[in-house]
Amino acid sequence: MPRVQLRLLAVPVVLLLVVTSSILFVEAQRSGTDTYAITNARIVTVSGPVIERGTVVIRDGLIAAVGADAAVPADARVIDGNGLTIYPGLIDANTSLGIPEPSPSPSPAAGQGGGFVAALLRPATSSTTTSNSTQPAGLQAETLAEDLIKPGGDPIEAERSAGITTALTAPRTGIWIGQSALINLAGDTPQQMIVRSPVAMHVGFTPLRGGYPGSLMGVFATLRQMMLDAARYREAQRVYEQSPRGLRRPSPDRSLEALLPVIEGRMPVVMYADRERDVQRALDLAQEFKLKVIIAGGSESWKLADRLQKENVPVLLSLNFPRRTTAAMPEADPEPLRVLRERVAAPKTAGKLANAKVRFAFQSGGMTTITDLVANAAKAIENGLSKDDALRAFTIGSAEIFGVADRLGSIETGKIANLTLTRGDLFDRNSRVTHVFIDGRPVDLRPVTATGPGANMAAGSWTLTVDLGQGELANTLTLQQEGERLRGSMQGALGSVDIANGSVGPAGEIRFTVPVTLEGQTTEATFTGTITGNEMKGAVNITGRAPGSFTGRRASAPAPPAPSGTPAPPGNISVSGSATNLIFTFERD
Amino acid sequence: MKRTATARILLLTVVWCTSWINVPAQQPRPAEPNETLIRNATLLTITHGTLENSDILIRRGKIAAIGKGLKAAADARVIDAGGKFVMPGIIDCHSHSMLDAINEGSLSVTSMVRTRDVLNPNDVDLYRALAGGVTSLNLLHGSANAIGGLNTVVKIKYGHPIDEFIFPGAMPGIKFALGENPKRSNSTVLPGVTRRYPGTRMGVEEVIRDAFTRARDYKKTWDEYRAAVARRDKNLIPPRRDLQLEPLVEVLEGKRYVHAHCYRADEILMLINIADEFGFKVKTFQHVLEGYKVAKEIARHGAGASIFADNWAYKIEAYDAIPYNAAIMTRAGVVVSMNSDSDERARRLNIEAAKAMRYGDLTEEQALKLVTINPAIQLGIQDRVGSLEVGKDADLAIWNGHPLSVYSRVDTTFIDGEIFFDRQQDLAQRADLLKERAQLEQAEPNRPPARGVSPQAPRGRRPSHADDDLWEGDIYQP
Repeated sequence: MPRVQLRLLAVPVVLLLVVTSSILFVEAQRSGTDTYAITNARIVTVSGPVIERGTVVIRDGLIAAVGADAAVPADARVIDGNGLTIYPGLIDANTSLGIPEPSPSPSPAAGQGGGFVAALLRPATSSTTTSNSTQPAGLQAETLAEDLIKPGGDPIEAERSAGITTALTAPRTGIWIGQSALINLAGDTPQQMIVRSPVAMHVGFTPLRGGYPGSLMGVFATLRQMMLDAARYREAQRVYEQSPRGLRRPSPDRSLEALLPVIEGRMPVVMYADRERDVQRALDLAQEFKLKVIIAGGSESWKLADRLQKENVPVLLSLNFPRRTTAAMPEADPEPLRVLRERVAAPKTAGKLANAKVRFAFQSGGMTTITDLVANAAKAIENGLSKDDALRAFTIGSAEIFGVADRLGSIETGKIANLTLTRGDLFDRNSRVTHVFIDGRPVDLRPVTATGPGANMAAGSWTLTVDLGQGELANTLTLQQEGERLRGSMQGALGSVDIANGSVGPAGEIRFTVPVTLEGQTTEATFTGTITGNEMKGAVNITGRAPGSFTGRRASAPAPPAPSGTPAPPGNISVSGSATNLIFTFERD
Repeated sequence: MKRTATARILLLTVVWCTSWINVPAQQPRPAEPNETLIRNATLLTITHGTLENSDILIRRGKIAAIGKGLKAAADARVIDAGGKFVMPGIIDCHSHSMLDAINEGSLSVTSMVRTRDVLNPNDVDLYRALAGGVTSLNLLHGSANAIGGLNTVVKIKYGHPIDEFIFPGAMPGIKFALGENPKRSNSTVLPGVTRRYPGTRMGVEEVIRDAFTRARDYKKTWDEYRAAVARRDKNLIPPRRDLQLEPLVEVLEGKRYVHAHCYRADEILMLINIADEFGFKVKTFQHVLEGYKVAKEIARHGAGASIFADNWAYKIEAYDAIPYNAAIMTRAGVVVSMNSDSDERARRLNIEAAKAMRYGDLTEEQALKLVTINPAIQLGIQDRVGSLEVGKDADLAIWNGHPLSVYSRVDTTFIDGEIFFDRQQDLAQRADLLKERAQLEQAEPNRPPARGVSPQAPRGRRPSHADDDLWEGDIYQP
């Protein structure tokens, strides 16, 4: 080849090489942070059968591949999923995440009555007040969650660390509370967080403070009147636009405009209702105005399960189960039977809804300890809900209710890469969330902080010596501990009985009661004391007798539970208790 | 024969009661027998005198026969009521039981709010009222406003779904209030809070007159619109539907009863004048403790009066009340009923009726009418309830003595032929409930936490010092 031609050829060749290498370089930079592969993991896709050992490939925020044989791209960051289970990112179906708490009301002006009662009477000020709205705060249906959310913050981080990747968020207060948004719990800007907005109009049945409506009756009248006004508003606008001459112009009203999709059935309405009669009132109102209603809360919704199923009404079921918060006090009035029944019935609701084929999703219901969310779902599983249904209620079931089942809620190619990885089964008491991916990127998780008493401060077998002023009585006390609660039994000179009302505090304060038979009579003895290491001592109070004292010694502390990163070897775990209350005791061999 | 009958009743009631305890609203109820025969009782028919040693046969919820020696079907429930008295179920014309909200006190005219929206079928006071022989209630809005909300008439079908409570075909009503309550004489106005208008009786009258004037205009606007539509006029924007004015239009058209809380003679006459001016009738005056002063005017207007027997002086406007009120108004030709306006008094309306015999010498029959057929007439339901007559609803109670005696108690209460209270069954249930409580208290969510808050002292549900139509607390809520 002539030399000149070669040289000419060299230029485009070099150019080509430079360009392609720079492209490759850029590609390498991008995929260096955007492509992940989790290998050797157990994959619970929800949309299909469980893959016992497989790989999930994430690229560019989406799931690129799922399967037992999915190929790991060369540029992927590999996470060894051995011992881990991958779930679709959990969805919390009703929160106020990302929406800052409203600022407290300004201090009272001079001349106005101050103090608590005056503050009660002042209309609730809210940072969500739009200046030119025709309605007072609480009735501004035009309020959009997407306008209010701010990224980051403590509540979002806490929820993420519990394995939740997505949440429906709406403002906290009001009658027409506002229009909710479905957000991913990661992102630097509100826009990056939003998955879908608006999702639904949220309605609460709490009267406004200071002004009409001031009662539940007024709330219903207001809802009705505004929906009628919205229908008329639409008609008035239509007639005026067709031919304005000769007609006074209808006044614009953003709040009524925001209600149009609601009364036309295009936007669902989430109504907050827990008690049976509240759920019934919500359903009746929805029927009256032909609304597409979703019930949020729903603790007694199972009583209307047939109607919910027939009218195709989904439930955003709160897992914030009620529990007793008052201390034991013998002089106090006994709690009403209704309250006792409600607390016991709460974990059974999900199972009953599932049996009646009512669609439902789980929500945190305002719980303060977010780790209770999955723990209470586990309780629901112990009370008649199948594990599959529980998982669906956290994932695809929730996505279907919010109209995003085509992009979220299961591990399928092409869907948004929201994943929750756990060591151990998600609903297992000892499992731990190890990784969370949101929009294809891993998020930082908070370390699990231990609060409350040490896990085995009180558990074990104790030798108790009780002194009631008539010589010492020897007993053996066997205790099992879950968190703050104690169960167990006492054998010996005072009889062979189960203990009741057992509790232990973080500093080792122990308390329990036993029925005791003394001189042929059965009464109750209350033991209160402190545990230090393997010793315990304190006082014994028996109704109708002088108080006594007791000391106790534990032979050896039981082995502390294996750190939840590694499962305990099978031979050392014993399981006791009824199906509703599994207790794991780790016994030294 | 007697033994097997009582054994059968006991078995049926035990079966019924045990199934009732655990039954949540959704599960099917055990089938009630088609027929019930109550034998050998003294029947206080109210409208056809007292029948001794007589039977009453209930079939499919209605009174099928009254007489002696009646025969029932083989599978009928037979109750031997020898020595007992059967009376129609008591109708309480003024009640705030089973309401989750009583007053919408923020505005002076709240005719848009409805008690129907806030009914609570689980209110235990309903059960207690059944134990007092009460079968129907007129659930009213409170007296915080000159024009209050819409009422609901119910049968106390405790344990049934709420829809079954609504009294079929009862005329709708609305609550008005005159006097101290709507002008807020007796509440504390906090500094800095503007008092709501009206503050005087003149103001109360003006509020009512203004509301009806607006209602009349509203009716005219809609009539004109409908006429324009009929004429096929173009470019019509419909007028705004106003839920506040529509019930008042119904009052003007005679389709809604007005139940007006009032005390003083002057305000009674004031309301009669307004009613005449706008062309409607007041159906009942409630409390109306000075009604005896204007009994003739009330009778001429055609209104009924629903009163307390001997409650008085709890407010200035109640100072002139006298216990002869019922007797004087009855003799003037007013249809008078005794009401409770109180969950506590609702359980002993029979005694309230008896007091009118002591004060005013009403006859036994007139006294019984005060809590049976008279309130039925006042609520427009007298075709269905209020007396023991063939064809009427089987809403009745078996008493173990004459109902006007302070020693008598209700054995069994029927509504539409179904038992909703039975004393024997209640006693039998108590042991089971205690056992259930003991079980539930041991359950994990019910156990007290290690460090919990102190239990609060229980708060009384409704303050008792002033009985009529109290709102929640004494603090003025604008």
